[in-house]
Amino acid sequence: MAAPVVTATAGTPRRAGAGRSGAVVRPYLYLAPATIVLVVVFGYPVLRLLVESVTVPGILGETGHGLDNFRSVIDDPILRRALLNNLRLFLAVPVMTVVAVLLATLLHERIAGWRFYQSIVFVPYVLAIPVVGIIFSYVLQRHGLLNQSLGALGLDPLVHDWLGSSQLAIWSVWVVIVWQQVGFGVVLFLARLSSLDPGLIEAAMVDRAGWWRRFRHVVLPHLAPIIEFFVTLSLINMLSWVFNYVYVMTGGGPARSTYVTELVIYQQAFRDGLPNLAAAVSVILLVLATVLLSAQSLVRRRIERMES
Amino acid sequence: MQAFGPRASTPGRPLTPGLDRRQLLRALGVTAGLASFPGLLAACGSDGDGGANASGDLLVWYWGEQEAAGLKKFFEAQVQAYNSSGTDSAGKVQAVLQESDTLYTAFRTAAEAKKGPDVQFFWGGTQALEDVWMGHVEPLSDHVSSEFLDQLDTDARRETYWDGKQWGMPFYQIGTAWAYNKQMFAKAGLDPEVPPATWDEFVTALTALKKSGVVPLGAGFKDAYLGGWLISYLGGQNFDSIDDAIAVFRGEAEYSGTKYTEWLERLKELIDRGLFNDDVLSIDLYQGQQMFESQEAAITNSVQPQIVGFERKLGADTVGVMRTPVYGTGALADFFPAPSQVLTITSFSPRQDRAGTFLEYLHEPEVMKAMYEACGAITPDKRFDPAWLNTEADKKMAEWKSSLPNFWYQYYYPFPFERDGVTPGVQQLFQPGGTVANAVSTMQEAIDKWRREQPAQVKAYQQWQLLS
Repeated sequence: MAAPVVTATAGTPRRAGAGRSGAVVRPYLYLAPATIVLVVVFGYPVLRLLVESVTVPGILGETGHGLDNFRSVIDDPILRRALLNNLRLFLAVPVMTVVAVLLATLLHERIAGWRFYQSIVFVPYVLAIPVVGIIFSYVLQRHGLLNQSLGALGLDPLVHDWLGSSQLAIWSVWVVIVWQQVGFGVVLFLARLSSLDPGLIEAAMVDRAGWWRRFRHVVLPHLAPIIEFFVTLSLINMLSWVFNYVYVMTGGGPARSTYVTELVIYQQAFRDGLPNLAAAVSVILLVLATVLLSAQSLVRRRIERMES
Repeated sequence: MQAFGPRASTPGRPLTPGLDRRQLLRALGVTAGLASFPGLLAACGSDGDGGANASGDLLVWYWGEQEAAGLKKFFEAQVQAYNSSGTDSAGKVQAVLQESDTLYTAFRTAAEAKKGPDVQFFWGGTQALEDVWMGHVEPLSDHVSSEFLDQLDTDARRETYWDGKQWGMPFYQIGTAWAYNKQMFAKAGLDPEVPPATWDEFVTALTALKKSGVVPLGAGFKDAYLGGWLISYLGGQNFDSIDDAIAVFRGEAEYSGTKYTEWLERLKELIDRGLFNDDVLSIDLYQGQQMFESQEAAITNSVQPQIVGFERKLGADTVGVMRTPVYGTGALADFFPAPSQVLTITSFSPRQDRAGTFLEYLHEPEVMKAMYEACGAITPDKRFDPAWLNTEADKKMAEWKSSLPNFWYQYYYPFPFERDGVTPGVQQLFQPGGTVANAVSTMQEAIDKWRREQPAQVKAYQQWQLLS
């Protein structure tokens, strides 16, 4: 039954043309559901965000349009301070990466008790950020656990108001973020290392390569793509995923010293009732995040070229 | 119980738990998350009560249990009584208690959709007027009788009177004062029944308390709320009228000079003398107040229901209540703040007259009495009988209320002034090297920023003629 139909279709030029156009259209049909979902989930919100960001509210419900919101937020010293704090948090990324790579390498070598250590390293990452924030906000109080411990050890010169000092507060948050986020890097790097051919390490050892040379010439190149991924991801996190830490631990204070961009958005949107200004800052944040993602894409291509 | 005031009463919760998010998904989703911000705004606070609203029932979104424990029980009982009375033949009343964190976000989301409560609770003053200026609120005076308006406390009415109309109905007022420990006063050689009334007496008393080995003033400022308290306690003592407070926001004056900034000098004096606890910036407002309750501190900032609670717990022989000592020379130097929270009729409600009738019901004498008995909240209404008061603290504060000017600074400035100016400015005073000049500069910058970002509100301030 099927054979004549196939023959007839193949033998007709018109039908052949339809087949070619069908072949052209078919991939788009396959892509259509996902495209529709993306347009609904991403496209509409982006459009709405852009519209909100250029909508200027007036009195008693009147509205206008223009770039006033962007002018306001760009002139805002608080936003500039917040962006500066995001940049300060960027400095945590190399620290997190180095610590995570070293810990992962040590654990990969199955040092005594490695399973236990692996759990210990990963546990902070499992904890909810608000829980971590609340605990550390108590630990780091002037009369909190940390200062009490330092005092008990006779280290009084190291006692500080960790969250109450505008010089120290952002760095206290910084340390807590590193403490919590390192575990994720360790797990990522360990997963990558598990795919490393043991023969390569053994060969290096036969060649009398020491730990550092094995690490430098075998382990590190193998980890490179994951390191690049982790670094990009962490940078984006430091830009747009640190709200919870700051909100819970300091609320942006003291004296605005720990403001981050997300907190500015939150306050404008939810505390001030200024969603349009919040949208303008969100657009700026979106652009910055997009730049980071683009940079990651460029780096990845370069690594792929090197590998090939 | 939460501390009084909108900002004081909104400790907030983190928006996202972050427990089971995977970093990979975070990276992939970050762009979408940022991009969908307006969608998130719209999603927040939606609680499905629109169905009740659509049914024809009068929907009331209220708040207050958080600062006046027992209010929820009172409200439920009164709604039941009102529904049973048959006053509203067109339908019933449904009342939904709101959370502090979502009180404003949920309402604004509903207002944008024009679907939500017929009656909405707001913290008073500018915190209600901001929603008036957004077009979310209907003038109360269009839906209640003038006789009813005349019965309301004039000071309380003034807080939400704008553009010649009454927008908010004062629901309950809360006296705001200082609680002090009489036993600690006596131990420090001070007269426990005569708290300091002038600034010099205040500094002398605090110094004596410090010498006796206690923390004179217990306070917490990490969560930023203390700034609003301090400026409201101290910042208006050189004002001759409330117009002086809003003049800087109308653009008629700069935030500078003795009239506006002397309070910062006075506060700095207290800080430099070491009269606050040394961890003010690393503990929250309520933790500072707890220092009084646990008898670690001799004095703390407090509100009427909380002071009554202290009195009931520690005894009237231990807990006293005092007004802010006077340093200023303005007509408002010696004052007693008793700001009011308000109920409003929403602009999108199809049941505005019914809402007005229900609001009038809440000011019936027996209802006001029931509210005080249930939760200690006093209705700012001339028909509220002082004979109903049943604690010493309430009686004393009622006496002050009847004889002194009533002014709560926080209700007359735009919130960004507090958040961007007062809070960081005063917080830096508590830091080593903090200066009054820096604080003043920060506050003026905040005003400039607000004027730049919110021209509509500036215009609203210029239209604002206070009720006399």
